Formats: sequence, C-alpha cells, structure tokens
Amino acid sequence: MTIVVILKQVPDTEAVVRPDPSRPQGILTEDVKFILNPYDEFAVEEALSIAESTGGEVVGICIGPAEAESAVLTALAMGVDRAMMITDPGAVETDIVTKGRILAEAIKPLNPSLVLCGREWIDTQEDALAAVIAEYLDLPHVGNVGKLSVESSKLTAVREMDGGSLEIESTLPAIVSCSKDLNEPRYPTLIKIKRAKTKEIKSVTLSDLNLAFEPPRSRVKILSSPPARQAGRVVKGEPDATARDAVAWLSDEAKII
Amino acid sequence: MTGILVIAETRNGTIHKTTREAAGAAMELSRRRSVPAAALLLTETQLAGELGALGFSTVYTVEGERYGKYNSESYTAAAAHAARQCSANIILMGATGMGRDLTARLAARLNGALASDVIRIHYDSDPVSVVRPVYSGKLLAEVELPGSPRIISLRPNVFEPASPSGQQAQVVRLDPDTASIRAQVKQAIQAAQGVLDVTEADIIVSGGRGVGGPEGFGVIRDLAQVLNAAVGASRAAVDSDWIPYKHQVGQTGKVVSPVLYIACGISGAIQHFAGMGSSRFIIAVNKDPDAPIMNKADFAIVGDLFKVVPVLKEELIKILN
Repeated sequence: MTIVVILKQVPDTEAVVRPDPSRPQGILTEDVKFILNPYDEFAVEEALSIAESTGGEVVGICIGPAEAESAVLTALAMGVDRAMMITDPGAVETDIVTKGRILAEAIKPLNPSLVLCGREWIDTQEDALAAVIAEYLDLPHVGNVGKLSVESSKLTAVREMDGGSLEIESTLPAIVSCSKDLNEPRYPTLIKIKRAKTKEIKSVTLSDLNLAFEPPRSRVKILSSPPARQAGRVVKGEPDATARDAVAWLSDEAKII
Repeated sequence: MTGILVIAETRNGTIHKTTREAAGAAMELSRRRSVPAAALLLTETQLAGELGALGFSTVYTVEGERYGKYNSESYTAAAAHAARQCSANIILMGATGMGRDLTARLAARLNGALASDVIRIHYDSDPVSVVRPVYSGKLLAEVELPGSPRIISLRPNVFEPASPSGQQAQVVRLDPDTASIRAQVKQAIQAAQGVLDVTEADIIVSGGRGVGGPEGFGVIRDLAQVLNAAVGASRAAVDSDWIPYKHQVGQTGKVVSPVLYIACGISGAIQHFAGMGSSRFIIAVNKDPDAPIMNKADFAIVGDLFKVVPVLKEELIKILN
C-alpha cells in the first residue's frame, strides 16, 4: 500500500520565539533552530513500520519554503522513500484550511491507502489538518491517535479525547493524525542521513496541481508577546512553615480556597 | 450570511461549561450586531429548553442513533445543515477534543475560515477578528478572518459564560442528510472514576524531573486528590516513563490554563512554560532557587518537594474541612 506522510518544518521546542519588528506577522529566525514538527516524527515512524510489514511506498509531502528541505531530509533519512515539496508562496503563506485543500490535491494522484500527519503543528498550534484533508478528499479521518492497527481494508485506532478515549474502526483509505503514544521514532543512522540526499525531492507548484492562487481565509495581522509573568513571593526555610505560608496565601491573597 | 450559530456539547445530562462560554460570546456578538443567535444540540435533546434560555432565538435538534456518540462525519453533516438553516456567518464552539475535531472538518465542508483555541474576540471588528496563542503560547497572534463563514473554537475557561435569561427559544428539529459513516466508534473508554484530565481541571498538580521516579508521583497524586485536581507532568518525567503521556503539559503535550498550577520539581523549561504559562496562579516547589520557574511563579517555595508537598496536603485538609 502507498502511505503519504505530511511534513512540516517548525522552530525547535526550546527556541525563544520573538516577533520580527520589521515584519510583525513573522518571527525572528536568527538563532532559531528549525526541526521536523515533533508530531510528524510519530507519523513518519508509523508509516515506515506499517510499510515494513505490508510492503509499499512511503511518500512525504511538505508545504514550506525552500529552507524546509532540511525537515524533509530528516524524514527521508528516517526511511521515507521520496518526497514532494510545495514552495509556492501562495501555499506557504496561507491558512491551514487552504493548505489542507492544496495537500488534498497533491495527495489525490498518489491514491494512497493511508495518509498520516502529526497531531498538531507546534508552531501555529493547529490540529485541524487531518480533518481538513479528509473532508476535501471525501475520506474518513481519525484525529489524535495513540494506538493504530492497519489491515488490508480497514484500520482500528484509539483516539485520545478529553481524558477518555474512543476506539474507532474505519474503512481505508483514511487520514490519521498521530500522537506521542503511538511509537518511538527511530533515529536516522549516519549512513541513512547520507543516503537521504540521493532520494528524490520533487518540487510541485500550485499550477502543477491545477490550483489557482486563492486569498487566505484567515491571516495573522500581528504577533505579540504575552505579558511576561512577574516574579511573586519566594519563601524558604522549614517545610512546615513554608507550606503553611503557601496555604495562607492561597486563601487570603489568591482567594482560591 | 449573517447568523450566529453555537454548537453545543453535553456531558451526562448537563450542558458543558464550554458551551455556556460559547453562548456568552455569541450573545455579545448578537447584541452588538443585532443579529439572532441559534444553537445546535446534537445530544441529550431534553436540554433544549435550558440551552435556549441562555439567550438563543432558536435551538436546532436532531434525532437518531447516529448522533448518540461523537462521530465526525454525522456531526459535520448536521452542523453544516444547521449552519445553512440560519445562514451562519460565525460559528462558535468550545475548543474541547470534540470541538476542535468538528470545527476543523466543518470549516472545510463549508469552505470557510477556521480559528481554533481562540482566547479573545474583537467583537466590534468587521469582519470579526480574534486572538489565539501560537508557538504554544510563546506568542499571541491577532488573526483576521476574511473567509466566510468563520468557524471559531474557544479555549475553555477564558470566556464569560452566558447566564440563563427568561427567554424561550424556538426548538426546531432538523433532518440532515444521512452522511455515509466510514469511521465508526466501537467503544468509548472513559477515564477512571474521579481521574480528571489536565485540560478540564481547574487545579493541576504537576511533577517533573525532581520527583525522581514513578513512585515519586505518589505525593503529587495525594495532593491532587485533596484539591480535586488533575495530575500533570513535565516532558522529562514522561520521557523517563514515570507517568503516561496523557499527563504531559507543554509544547509537545497539552496546553492548559487552570486557575491554579502547582509545579513540583519542575525547572520550567521554555517548552513546559509554554504549556502552562497562562495559568491564573502558579505555585512552584523546587530545591533550586535559580530554576526558571521560580521567578515566574506567584508563590515559590524553595525546598525539597518530598518534605513540602505532604505538609501542604495536611494543611489543606485542615482548611478544607
């Protein structure tokens, strides 16, 4: 079976992210390390392990600027067979619903049995992708999946939801978004990192997909830093005394209890 | 397209608090724009009157087994149907697990604009614009929504809930087209009795590297129980397999904004702080006075969590009884 994995490049989780004063919709990228979206690693790992047992090709698709190629290379080094990159500004600088529509068009000719993506993009903090792609392809989706088993014509997935979970059975093809409980992503070996550079990364434009530019449905007007938290009271000393101070503060000042 | 639609969620015979919060925002929009607001109730339709009394002119209901449990395909079909009925231009829902999933698929179905996990609405802007956290709350984005309709999910615990009015809504039963359902819920696995999820709790007691091992979470759980709080954890604790992933708070876990967050043995790395920095109050317990969390907490206790936390628990029992 053919499996498609959606890839995105994002700033590292430990990065300090600041708005760019000259371009307030964007962030300062100096000193920021960019990585493959952490949840996409779970999607890649899951795709590879399914392909290893059922046979078939794993194709990565990434919307992003040319620099996002390093995230694609990470996926190729993990074992993804080939990749497509859509670098049109009309695709890169648009909203998640439009991106999902573009990705759906890119996925269609591959006719995959399964499309996997990360549960969330940690930069824009959006988790809509699986549902949006599924809707445009008129396929079922299961979001936020922590356990997955795939057979020839159906899948069973456990979806985490507000504390509990749902066991969902779906026909294939389907779109699944992957969470951390799913697996432990493999580390690419040096030899695989080298080999990744020889794998195909095909550049795809919106016109290749027969799509015209569409104005974004939503767009960031301005980014700002949230108000910084001020240091509060610091107490040290005997545990009995400090704990009593804390309880007194909770009832008298914070007025929570 | 002018209407406002709220998609309601119920839990065990009650209207979910995020639905009351969405109703609050809907009423504000309705007043300022002089347009009516409608609600869609997919489950527990006996609550239609109570829901309507939050100020809605119309409550749409649906009947049938396919709405018994959340299903993205049948719910999307019903929500799209209701949106067309009231020519909805703004659709609001709580950003719960169901809310985030449904609004995503609905936005694509209606070819609209999506804004998820919104913390502020600029009620007077036209078209409506919103504020939502990005980079797990490291930054806030003001977002314009030129697309239509606008489908907006609201972060829990942020918006003022609507209070019941004397108003009586018209209840209209819809009969949406039967969607082909390809993803079926086989089984709903509830969380163990009394175990709260971090995204739903008003108070979270969280443990990090400082708890030292899986047994170390014992004192964390004891304190959480006394406060009826959820148990959270840092990535370090989860990656060490001390506690399951569903407890993880941070950029690659859950983003939370409880009334009180008690961080025990957590240094407060950037990615963790991103997930809980919008809590109303933060208490930190840490041996290291220089840990980053200590100058961001409202109340910081320098000390050994294994000595401090049990005393905290005993003192709280005294005051709560």
